[in-house]
Amino acid sequence: MEKRYIKKDSLNGRVKKMAEAGLVYAPVKDGDNVLFQVLTPGMEPLTAYANSKNAPKNFFFPHTEKLMKYTRTEKGMAFSGELAEAREAVLFGVRPCDARSFVLLDMLFDQEKYRDPYYIARREKTTVISLACIHPPYTTCFCTSVAGGPTDAAGADILLTDLGDRYLVEFLTPKGEKLEAHFSGDKAGDEADARKQAIAAQAEQEITSRIPAKEIKPILDVNFEHPFWNTIHQKCLACGTCTYLCPTCHCFDISDEQKGDDGIRLRNWDSCMFPLFTLETSGHNPRPTQKERWRQRAMHKFKYYVDNFNAIACVGCGRCVMYCPVNIDIRKIVTDISKL
Amino acid sequence: MQNPYLPIPVVVSKIITEVETKDIKTFRLEFLNKEDEANFKYLPGQFAELSLYGKGESPIGIASSPTQPGYIEFTVQKAGVVTSTLHEIEEGTHMGVRGPLGNSWPIEYLEGKNIVVVGGGFAFTTLRSLINYMIHDDNRKRFGNITVIYGARTPGLLIYKDELAEWQKRSDINLNVTVDKGDASWKGREGFVPTVCKEVAPGSENAVTVICGPPVMIRFTLPVFFDLGFSKENIVTSLEMRMKCGIGKCGRCNVGNKYVCKDGPVFTLAELDKLTKEY
Repeated sequence: MEKRYIKKDSLNGRVKKMAEAGLVYAPVKDGDNVLFQVLTPGMEPLTAYANSKNAPKNFFFPHTEKLMKYTRTEKGMAFSGELAEAREAVLFGVRPCDARSFVLLDMLFDQEKYRDPYYIARREKTTVISLACIHPPYTTCFCTSVAGGPTDAAGADILLTDLGDRYLVEFLTPKGEKLEAHFSGDKAGDEADARKQAIAAQAEQEITSRIPAKEIKPILDVNFEHPFWNTIHQKCLACGTCTYLCPTCHCFDISDEQKGDDGIRLRNWDSCMFPLFTLETSGHNPRPTQKERWRQRAMHKFKYYVDNFNAIACVGCGRCVMYCPVNIDIRKIVTDISKL
Repeated sequence: MQNPYLPIPVVVSKIITEVETKDIKTFRLEFLNKEDEANFKYLPGQFAELSLYGKGESPIGIASSPTQPGYIEFTVQKAGVVTSTLHEIEEGTHMGVRGPLGNSWPIEYLEGKNIVVVGGGFAFTTLRSLINYMIHDDNRKRFGNITVIYGARTPGLLIYKDELAEWQKRSDINLNVTVDKGDASWKGREGFVPTVCKEVAPGSENAVTVICGPPVMIRFTLPVFFDLGFSKENIVTSLEMRMKCGIGKCGRCNVGNKYVCKDGPVFTLAELDKLTKEY
């Protein structure tokens, strides 16, 4: 795949130009936060920023979306088919950890037997442009512990790497190549690889959080009943912040809403942290306390996903660590599990 | 791409109140489009999501057998929002069905073996599907002896009474219906399911037990079959969990790394032993 150089100060203008030509989501400043938003005239896309507060998974798997609509008829109900909302779009400025989450979500939503048409339509129509982390922004970053890396290309169609005075542009997929006209510049040769490798090595070194995430699967296999699970949940407020900010959390609820004779079926983000998530009509709850719910969260990410898809369902972005109101730290949990 | 979230339109063609407490009804559904019927290929043990206007979906085991063409049936206890609304509707209502979902009773594995079907209370629905499937003329010779033990708390709580009477007349199925406590008109057997199993269950040689019922029944019945020498590979059951998507994505019905909706609901005891006890 082709590689190019573009001038560093030209990137911002190129992104704005893309937004004139079509739908572009980009990181922008919103109060004290950086959020991915639809780029409209007058907005400045950020090209040097730490990471967005929210993971950009919502562009493929929105907080809430209509699965279908239906109408009340004299005899009951009639379905009016699905609502297709997917549009061609560019998702610009995704950090490599978050881009990697798309690969992990694909494993679930794009399985051989049950393909999720809503997620897949958006995935297919969206081109992901990643922005490598030259200097990993947070002490809570731990992507290298979960098979990722600050300059990794996984999940991206185009990867941009800041080389100091210019960006290296790597077109990684046919979808990425289609945007080639927006990234006109000098062709990059083999010298770019060496330069990038040096930058990648430096960036990886700057990541100080290292946890034995890849080693705990065999420990989790045999420690479902370990007393350790009595300890981690005790201060958990069950607020669900960790799951909502998590780039790989994908659990959802399906609910119906009606107004007059029109009904819609919605899917909304849900969370394994909530008691109602598994509460059955009979009153029985297979995960009755926060202990079981926390065990589920840890097991799902570091064991079940590995069992089912051979991948850890964590990208090391550190959002759950940064934003947990009671400072529960998944890095500590993983480290403690490794010592069981 | 086929959309696994879209229900199939059906009409409720028949509603049967099964029990004297009136809170268990069987709903017969016919497809509004003939091609949907042809596409709805299922096996006993599978389930589907029933859809009602403005209320949402509820996962229910399919109570009819694929040997009964033209319709599908669901026996539903009135419990939550969807099932309570379902109990209010009348014949002729249009609603939705999404499925078939999940795996099935292990039909191929059951072939050539003696089958013991053990059911308790209202958890007899997909077992009824299995029985009707096995005793159908086209299938009967594929299975060995069929012994059925079915119990309810009282005679009024037995479901599928007409069918039970018909099966009782057949010589190719050994039906044993029992109630915990009879009433003045009850002429049948009295006793708990585990006790009856002890009396009538055949040996474990070339035999498989298919069991479904309340946890307390299962807890006391399993030792009976272990004593008879049934291995855990030859005891099959079906799990229930809260479900939404039914296709292994929404994340709530997993037991360990298995999703009850997609990898189950049918598991052998040997398979369940390998999973956590979180159900």
